[in-house]
Amino acid sequence: MASESADATDVVATHRRALEWLSGSLWSVVLGSIAVVVAGGLVQVSFGAYSMTIPQAWGAVFDTDVIFNLQAWEAFLLGSEMPDMETRSLIVWNIRLPRVLVAALVGMNLAVSGAIFQAVTRNELASPFILGVSSGAGLMILLVLVVFAGVTLSIPYYFGTMILEISSLLPVIAAVGGIVAFLIVYAIAWKNGTSPVRLVLAGVIVGTVFNSLQTGLFFFADDIGVVQSAIAWTTGSLTGVDWEEVRTVLPWTVVALGLAVVSARQLNVLLLGERTASSLGMNVEKVRFALSAVAVLAAAASIAVAGIVGFVGLIVPHMVRNVVGSDYRRLIVGCLFAGPALMVAADVGARLGMSVLLGSDGQMPVGIVTGLLGGPYFLYLMRKQERMGEI
Amino acid sequence: MTEDTNARPDGGLGGLIERDDSSGADSTADGEDSGPDGDRTTENGETADTESAAASEFAGEDLVIGYPTADEPVVDGESVRVAPGEVTALVGPNGSGKSTLLKGLADQLSLSAGTVRLDGRDVHAMDTKELARKLGLLSQENVSPDSLTVEKLVEHGRYPHRGFFDPLSDEDRDAVDRAIDLAGVDHLRGREVGQLSGGQKQLVWIAMVLAQDTDVLLLDEPTTFLDLHHQLEVMEIVETLRDESDITVVVVLHDIDQAARYADHMVALEDGSIYASGPPEKVVTEDLLADVFGVEAIVEDAAWGPQVRPQRPLHDTASE
Repeated sequence: MASESADATDVVATHRRALEWLSGSLWSVVLGSIAVVVAGGLVQVSFGAYSMTIPQAWGAVFDTDVIFNLQAWEAFLLGSEMPDMETRSLIVWNIRLPRVLVAALVGMNLAVSGAIFQAVTRNELASPFILGVSSGAGLMILLVLVVFAGVTLSIPYYFGTMILEISSLLPVIAAVGGIVAFLIVYAIAWKNGTSPVRLVLAGVIVGTVFNSLQTGLFFFADDIGVVQSAIAWTTGSLTGVDWEEVRTVLPWTVVALGLAVVSARQLNVLLLGERTASSLGMNVEKVRFALSAVAVLAAAASIAVAGIVGFVGLIVPHMVRNVVGSDYRRLIVGCLFAGPALMVAADVGARLGMSVLLGSDGQMPVGIVTGLLGGPYFLYLMRKQERMGEI
Repeated sequence: MTEDTNARPDGGLGGLIERDDSSGADSTADGEDSGPDGDRTTENGETADTESAAASEFAGEDLVIGYPTADEPVVDGESVRVAPGEVTALVGPNGSGKSTLLKGLADQLSLSAGTVRLDGRDVHAMDTKELARKLGLLSQENVSPDSLTVEKLVEHGRYPHRGFFDPLSDEDRDAVDRAIDLAGVDHLRGREVGQLSGGQKQLVWIAMVLAQDTDVLLLDEPTTFLDLHHQLEVMEIVETLRDESDITVVVVLHDIDQAARYADHMVALEDGSIYASGPPEKVVTEDLLADVFGVEAIVEDAAWGPQVRPQRPLHDTASE
């Protein structure tokens, strides 16, 4: 009996130790963020062009005919044919909810990506786009919309050929552009290895050149529609996203964020500085490149569905770090929840703000809202914190 | 420069640390060869004549070490063999190449030529994690996030012992406890590193490198910038390691008295060359202080070894 109870305490102790990093402050971030996401989500499903009352909308969200309908989920996640459902359910489930979901996934990706880059560069002011990702993606977006607008691709298929408008490939091309820019940055920074400072400088160089080219291309746009579309892409917008975007972003999100969570300890060791990490036996160059690649993958996935949404990747890791400290096991988990909270809340503003403030039914790009929220928050941080910069 | 033979250890000391005269034909090794001790010259580091049972054999041969940004190597063709299980101090003025030599030995700088062997194996060819399980290096300056707790920092010392997915094992926890205990920082365990004084931080970092549980420990100026109390705390840890374990310690020190008191062997570097090596009473001489450190000093015999009383700086008359 005695030994049994000793075993039991051992097991309890092991469990306690395994979960000790789930501190109270992390729980408050997680629960607070879930509350914001749920509240923001309910607002999003309740209002819109098709008017229904709040109870009707919420009823549609919890419509058991949809929730327990395998065929419906197949349609959502695999893209098969949508089963018949009530109009209200269709609008809530097919138009309004996926937008909330995409916002949450984009928020997660950007927040975690930013957190990783802040560890890799050991700088709190790093964002997912610090290594040229946004400028590469932005340039490709402009090239596709302005220069190659009418180009079609014919891809040989089993029977005959598949004709693709190049603009339908825009999300993929933008993401690939971001990844290519990151590789160029790495190549420029590489000289017997890299250092955080060299990487950031190379990011600035590539960013400057690509942004100039991107701005230059605006002069060749002959149509205001093209310009607006380009601006929506380069500031980040969730207008018109549906389950297809969920299907696009979800697999990459799972891969990138899964890798980020298991890499938390590597990030913690990287925070001790290159020399210490290296003397502890870490292959710093390899780990740094691998972690950057994970972060770029997350950022590129979010670009593919929402364009270049600024500030989320910069401020969310900050907010979370202020609450849970710099332990990346906590920080990454915190970002997984706080990122969606900020993004969903900002998208409420982007989608409904214009109609509340101006009475028009226009929507603005969500990137404008995140910038409007992010700037003042940074001002507040700058005033409050003595020291900013190095983690 | 003819007197430097006085500073050489005599042949009977077992070739603990030696200079490879044959490869050091470079002119930077000034005043060399005036007193070759033939019996100490070995062809390679594998001549393990003084190896004790468990302590690790650690030696560098014909080392040429420099930085990628500079053309001239800092250390040019020196050989160092460290006494297994004992404490060796590297001393020398600023810029004499002490830290560079240490980094080269620890595989933190790549060698232009030469090899470093740990128990007969080339460390620069070893897997980085495998090396880090055998050889620990504490850098001169260290950074960590302020909100990191002492215990968590020390746990990072277990990095080379853990696989990518491994949680902290009981063995890891024991090593962390031992390291914290040995460094005497148990009372700081739950504190955040950012709240500690410079001296406390250094003890905590030493605990981290102790948790790495290596056979060879390299410490780069662990006492510089510390107050007297913490300097002695650090040196006491080194003393404990010497007396109670088989760990081979190489420590860079600025304070010659300290080196003479705590080290079994000393290596004096001047301008990237080994000027003298051997037991403290042979190395710490008035001539060495004049030639290497540019100081006129009186060396007295104290109970624990030679003691230096600096008098005044010597101004360059001999060098040019």
